[in-house]
Amino acid sequence: MEHILGKLFNPESVAIVGATPKEGKIGRAILENFIKRFHGRIYPVNPGYDEIFGLKCYKSVTDLPETPDLLVVAIPAPGVPAVIREAAIKGIRMAIVISGGFRETGTPEGEKLEKELEEISKTYGIRILGPNCIGIYDNWSGVDTYFLPKMKRPPRGFVGFISQSGAFSSALMDWMAYHNIGVSRAISYGNKIDIDDIDLLEYLGEDEKTKVILMYIEDLKPGRGKLFIEVAKRVVQKKPVVIYKAGKTSRGSLAAASHTAAMAGEYSIYKAAFKQAGIIEVDSFDEMMDVVRIFLHQPLMKGNRVYIVTDAGGVGVMLTDALTSVGLEVPQTPSDLKYILRKELPPHCIVENPIDLTGDADDERYMRVLDILIEKPYVDAIVVVALPQIPGIKGSFIDHIIKLKNEYKKPIVALTIGSEVSLEVAEKLEKGEVTVFESPERLAKALKALYTYSIIKTRGDHHEKP
Amino acid sequence: MTTTRSPKEIIRKALSEERLKLLEHEAFELIKYYEIPVPETLLARDPKEAYELADTIGYPIALKIVSPDIIHKSDVGGVRLGLMNRDEVARVVEEMLKTVSTRVPHARVLGVLMYRMAPPGLEVIVGGVRDRVFGATIMFGLGGIFVEVLKDVSFRIAPVRITDALEMIDEIKSSKILEGYRGQGPVDRKAIAEIIVKTSKLMMENEEISSIDLNPVIVYSNGAIVVDARVILSKVSH
Repeated sequence: MEHILGKLFNPESVAIVGATPKEGKIGRAILENFIKRFHGRIYPVNPGYDEIFGLKCYKSVTDLPETPDLLVVAIPAPGVPAVIREAAIKGIRMAIVISGGFRETGTPEGEKLEKELEEISKTYGIRILGPNCIGIYDNWSGVDTYFLPKMKRPPRGFVGFISQSGAFSSALMDWMAYHNIGVSRAISYGNKIDIDDIDLLEYLGEDEKTKVILMYIEDLKPGRGKLFIEVAKRVVQKKPVVIYKAGKTSRGSLAAASHTAAMAGEYSIYKAAFKQAGIIEVDSFDEMMDVVRIFLHQPLMKGNRVYIVTDAGGVGVMLTDALTSVGLEVPQTPSDLKYILRKELPPHCIVENPIDLTGDADDERYMRVLDILIEKPYVDAIVVVALPQIPGIKGSFIDHIIKLKNEYKKPIVALTIGSEVSLEVAEKLEKGEVTVFESPERLAKALKALYTYSIIKTRGDHHEKP
Repeated sequence: MTTTRSPKEIIRKALSEERLKLLEHEAFELIKYYEIPVPETLLARDPKEAYELADTIGYPIALKIVSPDIIHKSDVGGVRLGLMNRDEVARVVEEMLKTVSTRVPHARVLGVLMYRMAPPGLEVIVGGVRDRVFGATIMFGLGGIFVEVLKDVSFRIAPVRITDALEMIDEIKSSKILEGYRGQGPVDRKAIAEIIVKTSKLMMENEEISSIDLNPVIVYSNGAIVVDARVILSKVSH
């Protein structure tokens, strides 16, 4: 059965109220987006035109030749309630209200208009995304109300993004396009008078095209917290949910009538909620994208034992510190493995974890060691430090790493540091879905997130068994 | 005092008298209903009654004035601790009633709350608040400076299960102290966890409670007991 919000993302037809040929207008940008990529039927609505860009234009929603699955509204706020009411009466079930000028203005008029809109939504059952939002960028259906022509569109892919901030959402799309990270659907919900984070999380949870869900939130609607946890708990059993909570500084809770109330800063409660729900919380933009990348391409970890293969002793030590301090283990090489490695490697190489192939390493040496390591059941993840500045490395080990990762379904991540020569290695590895980092600390944090999620997922699998 | 009232009855009575803070004996009565371990408390209305009850309570005895009009009991001479026999108890109750009535002439005094003092142990705090977004939320922390200065506490959104509660206990930075300190053995983490779970249930079932502090809860190597409880209500519009 289709999800209740299905038509919001996958409509067969859409009407755009406020569509216009006028340069620089939001209504034009949205119409152009749809013409470019949406394969369903498009109905511009604007009483001032008979035709826009070759499409027949309608005077009003009532005049439309059919009841479209989705209505997009981009007209000044005072006109919005009437249009939504008209649409609801026509039988339209889904609307995205792009228009600003509601509660966010802080004016009584804005507040009144928003209440009116809320009322209409409740009375007629028409679902509303927004108002005051940039809406939806759907890479699979072509629904695209992101009215920013200069924003690069990321390629089709599997990251779903829910954002309370429109500007951040569009900046992130642009960034992801630049870094070639594929997006399934991105949603910015604005004032969320009806459809909110929880509805969207549930939808993306069931969405086959979304493999990782990223959320940026400032606050949830009052009274929705417990439902949020409940929904998230279900979703994380299917796919990881990564969250960034903005607004962490505690505003003193109410009147601090008790110790507990005084301690309960808003953020500490959110933090607890994320943990309970099995959501991965990130603290910075860097971490957000690192974690998303690792979830996109790495299989789960069976344990927390990490082996490092490096051509640079120092970086091996940095990594060991970083991995250990986030709570991962860099165990000593067991004696049987030491014995095998000793036989394989020249005597000056170090077989203790981190396994140091030293500065005269070549592709061959990497491949031999990785072949041995990947098979060991006590190796839960491998970090390959590939500083390509040393002369012996020609690059043939790159394809080998990719092959091993796909064959053994074990996480392999890489660390490279340097200029073009390093970026080139990184790019090739990334193409083969081996996640690459530049910083040991960022690598460690991302790998820890992968491990944390692996535990959440396995625990859930156990719970489901009777 | 002997008949048990339901939480709803206790809360309704307080609200009907426009009191948003439960009196101490009411707070104890309420948490006792949820099988949270509390000292056996008795309300004595006069020195004679106190004298008769003292032996059955056991020593050392603590005395606290009970009045809806007095917030800071110790400031008006309304708290006395460590009394060792019934003569002393009777004398101190008499004194206390007198002192309080001189210092706060119009206060309505219901009597003096008597209970046996818990032996010293590790002090922790268990609390509950009703958050705007998440509703009933439970807190755990170590007592004293750990909570007041270091704010070393952990939270969970209710309902809190026993496994969550144990996780909360381990989550605070100073959790090592629970494993034993100053030559003491490890404290009973399970006993704390049970109090957390029961507090969660209490918060879930009583919408009118806006916050609760069980502070301190004294924990031993075997068992734990709440020695002070504060329950704040809000008017729920239903």
